[in-house]
Amino acid sequence: MTQKKPLIVLFQCQYCLASSLDQYWVEQELPENVKRVKVPCSGRIDPLYILNAIQGGADGIMVCGCMPEKCHYKEGNLHARRTLNEFRNFLNTLGYPQERFVFHWMNIDERGVIQPLLASFEERLKRSKDRPRLANRMLNQENG
Amino acid sequence: MPNTRDQKIQAEAKRLLQDGVVDVVIGFQKGTLPYKMQPCFISRADEVAKLTLNGLCSNNLAVYLNHWPKGEKTAIIVRGCESRAIQTLVLENRHARENLYLIGVPCIGILDLQKIGQQELQPVLAVQEEGDQVRVTFGNGEKLFKRNEALHDACLHCNHPQPLNADVVIDEAGLFEDGSFDKSYLHAFRNLSAKKRNEVFRAEAERCIRCYACREACPMCYCEECFVNHSRPQWIDSTIAPSGQQGWHIIRAFHQTGRCVSCGACERACPMNIKMTYLTDLLNQDMAAEYGFEAGLDAAAAPPFLTLGEDKGKFTGEQEEDHAN
Repeated sequence: MTQKKPLIVLFQCQYCLASSLDQYWVEQELPENVKRVKVPCSGRIDPLYILNAIQGGADGIMVCGCMPEKCHYKEGNLHARRTLNEFRNFLNTLGYPQERFVFHWMNIDERGVIQPLLASFEERLKRSKDRPRLANRMLNQENG
Repeated sequence: MPNTRDQKIQAEAKRLLQDGVVDVVIGFQKGTLPYKMQPCFISRADEVAKLTLNGLCSNNLAVYLNHWPKGEKTAIIVRGCESRAIQTLVLENRHARENLYLIGVPCIGILDLQKIGQQELQPVLAVQEEGDQVRVTFGNGEKLFKRNEALHDACLHCNHPQPLNADVVIDEAGLFEDGSFDKSYLHAFRNLSAKKRNEVFRAEAERCIRCYACREACPMCYCEECFVNHSRPQWIDSTIAPSGQQGWHIIRAFHQTGRCVSCGACERACPMNIKMTYLTDLLNQDMAAEYGFEAGLDAAAAPPFLTLGEDKGKFTGEQEEDHAN
């Protein structure tokens, strides 16, 4: 029996993964089970987007943003860190396991880290596939 | 039958209106139902005899300030939760504090109609508060309830029943002392397994009929356009599908993070008796633990999500260490 690969939504701040090799990889060679949402800054990511992705059938959420003092817009990521981190805690409290929702705060000059990160995230998702989930929009459609 | 608390409130309201200190007094009057008081707006001194305040006043009056003209001189009768809500609203520039006159009343708690009314399948004809007891007249007779047992959960968990920053405080003893908050129910919820917590949340959310009464009753929900009313893009299912119900409860609570004053007006407004203050209480507990912040206590401190900080060392989870350097 072939195992379906977990669907991952990658929220990417446009100033992360800025090296041309990484940028080429996420644009051209991203695996099919990873959907990329490019945002101007991690501060643009509303918890609503995360919830929308989860309810749209994503198995895992990965948010890539810049390190605290490295934000292009000076403080967008500070806001993102506070809100998204609390949102993650909150979902965890409601039974949506926090290992399905991860952050990677990275430096601009880091390169070649995204591929192993996604691979290890995928492995962890496969292990936690039986944990509770939130209600899913796609299931609603199937059940009428 | 007016008690002394009512008379003191009426005297204060009369003075304010006669002296022209304020244009309108917001308070409670007797409603059409025997077990519910309704909010009222008194603008003439000869109408103040309507004003009353008892355990049946279940609304949070601060909600009316959201769409109230900022320039109008307004007096409002506040209990602990209402004064904290007003403090938060003033901080968010929803109203100017100098145009408000707060008549503080030490809180006597709010009765939960579900606890006193629903055990009997009989119409409630009258509710009379007598000291420590509540006398409820049903269609088939009377019944006495202990007042402490009939109080709403939000009032039993209340930490700050005394009005804060009020211009005048009515000289009557309240029911509670500050700091009697019992957090054990939150600990009990957190200690459940993830599956169990999810089941509790599902069971509560699936009764939701999406009437948004909780939103209308909440003083902190004042967006001109709510996220559930967006149709393009539609973020959340607008039907009573489980995804829409859960999404609404998650995001509604999350928008209150560090802003909710735990008045419980949402729960009392809910026609389906859905428990929802536990969601905002959980978030508030996180805010208190991480940033030492409690909504409405400090007139100058903004909620954690409105302020920015580098939060060094705060969010160093395993993911961050994975690729450090």
